[in-house]
Formats: sequence, structure tokens, C-alpha cells
Amino acid sequence: MWIGFLRYRLGVGVLGSAALIASISFGAQQQQQSPKASPSREQSPKEAPPSFPPALVESGHTLFQQNCAFCHGRDATGGETGPDLTRSRVVAQDVGGNKIGDVVRNGRPDKGMPAFSALSPDQISGLVAFIHTQTKQASSRKGGRKGVDVSDLQTGNVEAGKAYFNGAGKCSTCHSPTGDLAGVANRYQGLKLEERMLYPDHVLSDVTVTLPSGQTLSGKLEYHDEFTVGLRDASGWYHSWPVSEVKYSVNAPVEAHAELLGKYTDDDIHNLMAYLQTLR
Amino acid sequence: MKLLSNMFRFISAGAGILLACSAWAQGLDPAMIAHPTTDTWPTYHGDYSGKRHSKLTQITPENVGQMGLAWAFQTGQTNALKCSPLLVNGVLYITVPDNVWAIDARSGHRLWHYTYPPNKGLHIGHRGVAMYKDWLYFMTPDAHLICLNAKDGTVRWNVVVADSSKGYWTTMSPLVVRNHVMVGVSGDFDNLTGFIRSIDPETGKTQWQFNSTPPPGTPNSTTGGMTWMTGTYDPDLNLIYWGTGNPTPVLTGSTRPGDNLYTCSILALNPDTGKLVWAFQPSPHDTHDWDAVEVPVLVDAEFNGKPRKMLMQTSRNGYFFVLDRTNGKNLISTPFGPVNWAKGVDERGEPIPNPAKEPARDGRLIAPDEGGMTNYRSPSFDPKTGFFVVDAHPSYGIYFAKPEDGAFGWAGADYGVWGKGVLEAIDYRTGKICWTHELGPGGSGAGVLTTDSGLTFTGDGSGNVLAVDTSDGKTLWHAGAGAGMQSSPITYELDGRQYVVTGSGGVLFAWALPASAAKASGGATHGKS
Repeated sequence: MWIGFLRYRLGVGVLGSAALIASISFGAQQQQQSPKASPSREQSPKEAPPSFPPALVESGHTLFQQNCAFCHGRDATGGETGPDLTRSRVVAQDVGGNKIGDVVRNGRPDKGMPAFSALSPDQISGLVAFIHTQTKQASSRKGGRKGVDVSDLQTGNVEAGKAYFNGAGKCSTCHSPTGDLAGVANRYQGLKLEERMLYPDHVLSDVTVTLPSGQTLSGKLEYHDEFTVGLRDASGWYHSWPVSEVKYSVNAPVEAHAELLGKYTDDDIHNLMAYLQTLR
Repeated sequence: MKLLSNMFRFISAGAGILLACSAWAQGLDPAMIAHPTTDTWPTYHGDYSGKRHSKLTQITPENVGQMGLAWAFQTGQTNALKCSPLLVNGVLYITVPDNVWAIDARSGHRLWHYTYPPNKGLHIGHRGVAMYKDWLYFMTPDAHLICLNAKDGTVRWNVVVADSSKGYWTTMSPLVVRNHVMVGVSGDFDNLTGFIRSIDPETGKTQWQFNSTPPPGTPNSTTGGMTWMTGTYDPDLNLIYWGTGNPTPVLTGSTRPGDNLYTCSILALNPDTGKLVWAFQPSPHDTHDWDAVEVPVLVDAEFNGKPRKMLMQTSRNGYFFVLDRTNGKNLISTPFGPVNWAKGVDERGEPIPNPAKEPARDGRLIAPDEGGMTNYRSPSFDPKTGFFVVDAHPSYGIYFAKPEDGAFGWAGADYGVWGKGVLEAIDYRTGKICWTHELGPGGSGAGVLTTDSGLTFTGDGSGNVLAVDTSDGKTLWHAGAGAGMQSSPITYELDGRQYVVTGSGGVLFAWALPASAAKASGGATHGKS
């Protein structure tokens, strides 16, 4: 079941630039991605998290069911498109709502999460209490948890991945293990690395706009729909034009990632992952 | 004296007639839904067929460029409009979860606003109300059905449809056929039985219930098959057509071997008894959350030279299906975008899922993604061109599942990788895509409306409302609405002026030609058809 997360992904008021094509890795940053294969299930926190008044937890529970449960699951362990909050780094680092509150109030437009700006501080306190309580319960629960561990993504063959990188995948056309990808496995692990490999987030394309006067402007493509093209120039200022009034060309090498999606076998992906994980 | 008494009798008889007329004048005769006039939009789909096509012709490809805002209505709510408005007797009825508004369709001013008390149901979206005589039927996040007085929004009765504490919720707009109010339910995070229930419009009592899956706990059996979209109806065959959702556990199929009937299915049921007449399954043994609830569109037209009663669906799993709706026999099964999870289709026309593409510990790249090649917002069928116009979503996602994920609710994890929006015109005779119109990165998700003048209305992925030429998909008009369209457009004509109504974010927009241009263009139907 799915009710409209596309709009959530694109977000209201967020410029639908090429970067948003990739705003799919909702939750990847929040997911625990410890390079050590075993997640921290068995480690108890050094300090026990505070307990919250039951009435506050209950008020948060109601709000959570109404506003959050579809994406994050009824028990906060993940739902349709939204990550498991009980394994979230934001939640782990949160003290009394200082991190969670920001995310709830402002949303994560780049990740597809809408802002819940109408919630009062008391309501957010309730949500925070509920999420922490669920996290505590989940960490003490026996048995498995939903989600992807780094250890799950170790089925590929390094040599086959290297061959794909330099051969059929044509990855080496744009990337180099000693250049841009040097140490990539130190920067990203597990699911996060795989998502970036398949289609990277936050990659702005280059655009050159030619005005009717013949003047040209170049910059990063900030906005592009059927009717408007907008760029940010080197000095940081935004400019936009009706597409009918100018000529423009977009250089978007990131689209090579999208073209590859129809060509990969699952083995190719696992092998490529194995190879990338050697780039430390 | 005799004269007086006769006069009295005459007057009282007249008053009786007047009374009856006024009662009907403000309500909705359910018989009218089968033949709606163009000054109404009396059910979720506008009629029983689900074509979302209007005979109105005042706004044309030639004059649509002059179209502008007639009025806007602000809900003031964080929840976006995902409903299809109802229009009866000049009054629009719209919803978001817990809220119903009655709005003057000429001016956009509010007549009344009903709010349902706070509750723990999922407030993910709301599809709208249904109407029977003077009464509206509204489903709540905690799975109640509320009967409201259409005059003032006061509550007549409130019945429980499902137990929300078990994980059910409701979002859908009921389907009214004669004296049946048919409702469906949602609930994917728990292993629950999906069902369609027929409810008496006067009393709220259950008339019948059809369960799409066995009770939870049945060995080697599925649960799920939620029923969260309004079905369609053929009065001649006296059959309702209803799509069902995915099985549960969602991403893990090991505990539910086999096809998992009747999940991801199109059902033909008798509306008087709830008896199943036939079923077709777009996604046997689904493990990708691809509900087959997308509108089952009913079309009467020629196929291979013979007149046929057909049912068409662009399904979330990426296939376009054409069926003979008298018996469920398949005429066409063909993908309308990238699909990599099936080994082909069987002799019944049902796709054969590839076991190698079931979610796995190390991930499987799947096209389309979980949101699917399209979703619940309506497509539209244009009878003149034979085009089935749909908001498509070519996309890829990665799907994971492992034994530790268990066999309850979601039971796995999946992540979208890439997707875009494309408006597609599919020729129903061949399944071939005749034109495409790019709607932007990520996708659009807007519904589609076509009109007899050759116009198609929808929205793109950047918050623009679009009018395109149905013959070639070229843009003829647009307006930035400030938020994406998450609903399906409707149209109607009142006082000689045609309105197109769209919802974006929390705002309902009514678009029309300037009054002078509307007068000049006239309109072939003059409010009736």
C-alpha cells in the first residue's frame, strides 16, 4: 500500500532539480552503517536513556500514528519508504528532542520527508518521548530487525566487480579508484554506499544558458521544469528564465547511472559493491 | 364545504408533491449515478465507468490558453488534498483525513466544515465522500463509516467498519449502487484480512461482506488484499469491479506459498449479494507491494473488429491489462514501462513472477519501484482517440528481505533508487504507447481527466497544472500551483460556464475561461447530456 510518497519525495517548495531525481535514499543517512558487521543490538547504551511520563508517551503515540506511521511504521521500525527510527542515527544522538525536533519541524525535503511545522513544542515533545520509548523497547527485543546491515552486502566477487567497473559498466569512463573514488569505502558503507553507487544524491548538473542578446551564463542547474530553467552562478546568485526565451544546454553525467539501471544483473551490483568496498 | 374540502385535498396533495420534489432536488437519486449530467460529479470517478472523461466541450484546445483561476479554496490543513470532489446540486464536497467541507461550486465559498474527533488512525490521505439521497458517507482514519447530513454536515450515524487497534485504517470514497454503500479498508503493517463490505445507507447495518483473504493464522496462507480504492460498476451486467492490494507479510513470500488469492486481484462481484463472479490476478504471489487497486476502467468499444465490454487497468506492477469484463478473460497484457520481475505471462494473461526477483538478503534491483509504474490516482480513457492516458512512473528500487525480518507486516525493507514521471497515451487496441509527455524527475503522481473537446488535464512533478492536447500530448496551458497535484481532476458546467477543478497541496483550484470567452464558446452540452 502506498499513498503518495512521490510528492513527499519531491517536497513542496523544493526546486525539482536533477539532484532530486536521486532523493530516494530516504533513510540511508539515518540507518546505522557501522562498518563492523554486527549492529549494536547487543551493546547497551552507556547511559540509560531517560524514561518519559506515560501520558506524554501516549500523546506522542497518537500523533505518531496519525502523522508518521505510514512511512515509519506503526511501531517506528520502518514503514513504506521511511526508515526504521529505532536504528536512526538522528534518534541515537538526540537529547530531549534537540535533533528530532529539527527534523520534524523542517522536514527533510531532499529525502522526501515533509515538514510538520504546525506541531506545537508540546506535541513534538510527545513524539520525541514516543520515539525514544520505542527505540528502547526495540533494542531490548530479541530476534531480528528489519533493515540492511553491512554484512548483508558481502556476496559479490571483487575481481568480477573490478572487471565490470572497467568493462561492461563503463564506470571507468567517469570514475577512478585512485581519483574521485579513492577511499570511497571509508566515506560510505553498506546500503549508503550501494545507493550512491546506483544513483547518487545531490549531484547538481552544469548548465549553460544563452540569452537572446547572445550573452551566456554558466552555473549549476538549480531548477528545471517544462517551463523554467534556473541556475546558480559562481558568485552564488540564482537566475531563472522561461525556457521559451533562452537556449540552454545541460551537462548531466550522473544520468549514466540511470541508464545503467536497465542493464545491471543483480550479480553485477553485488560484484561492483564488493569492488568498491576495497577502495579504502 | 365540499369545495373547500376538495380544495384542501388539492392543496395538500400539491404540498406533498412539492415536499417530495424539494427533498430530491437537494439530494442525489442513486439511479442518476449511472447517467450523470454534466452539472454534477456524483461519485468518486464521476460516473460508474471510471473513465474520468467528460462530454464537456466549452474549454477547447483552441481557447484553453485563456483559462484562468475562477476561485481557490484553502483548507488550511497540513494534509494535502488527495480526494476527488463530489458535485451535486451546485455543492462540492471535499475531504482530508478527519475533515469534510461543503463548498459552493460557483464561488468557492464554504458552506460547512465537519471535523471528526482526534483518533489514532493513520492520517495518510483521504479520497472523498460518497452520496445517497440527502446523505454523505465519510470514512475515518480509525476505520469508521460516518453518515452525514449533506445539508449541514451533522452526524446521522457512525458505525465501526474495522478494528483500528489491530492495524486497519480507512481512506477511501465508498461506492454507492442502489441501496448499497460499499466500503473497503487499508492495513499493511499487520497481517490482516482485507474485505469489501456493503452497508445499508439508511441504517448503517452490514448487508454482506466479501473477504479477499483467509483469517490470519491460516496455515500456508496469505493475509492482506486490502480494498482501499473505489470500484466501478456495470449496471447491465450488475457487477462491481474492485481491485485488491498486496499480500502480507509484504516483502516475504515464504509463509504464503502459491498465488495468494485474492490479493493483487481484480474482482467482479454481485453488488446485491457480494458473490464473486470472476477474478483476474495482475500480480500472483506479489512480494513488491504492488496493489492492484488502480481504477478498473470500463469501456464499451470495438476490439479486433467486434464490440466488446472491456475492463482496462494500468496496474502498479507495470502491466496494462485489457479484459473482457463479462468473464474476466484476458485480451491484452503488456508492460507500459520498464518491468524486470516477471518471466512473461501465462495462458490466462497473468504475469509469472520470477523467483530470482523476490527480495533477498543482498538486495534485488526491481523495476518498477514500490510506488509502482502508476498508483491510485485516476487514469482517463478518451473514447474518440481510444487512448488510455496514465501518469506513469518508470522507476527502480532495491528490495531486501531475510529470515530475521520475520513474517509479519512489512517483513523486509525496500528503497527507491530512481524514477521519473511520464504521461503516456496507450492505444487500448494494441497496448502500444502512442505518445509520451515527460513530467519530471521523481515523478508526478497526479490523476488525469480527458474531455470531449480533445483536452487532457493533469499535473507534473514540479507543481504545474497542465492542459495537453489528447491527440499528441503537447502542452497547451499550464499554471504553477505551488505544490504537486496529489489528486485527480474533475470538471463540470454551471450557468453556462465550464470549470476544471484540481487540488494541489491544501488548496482546491477552480479553473475556467473568462466569462466572456465562456459565453462565446458556448458548449455543446449546455449542462446536460
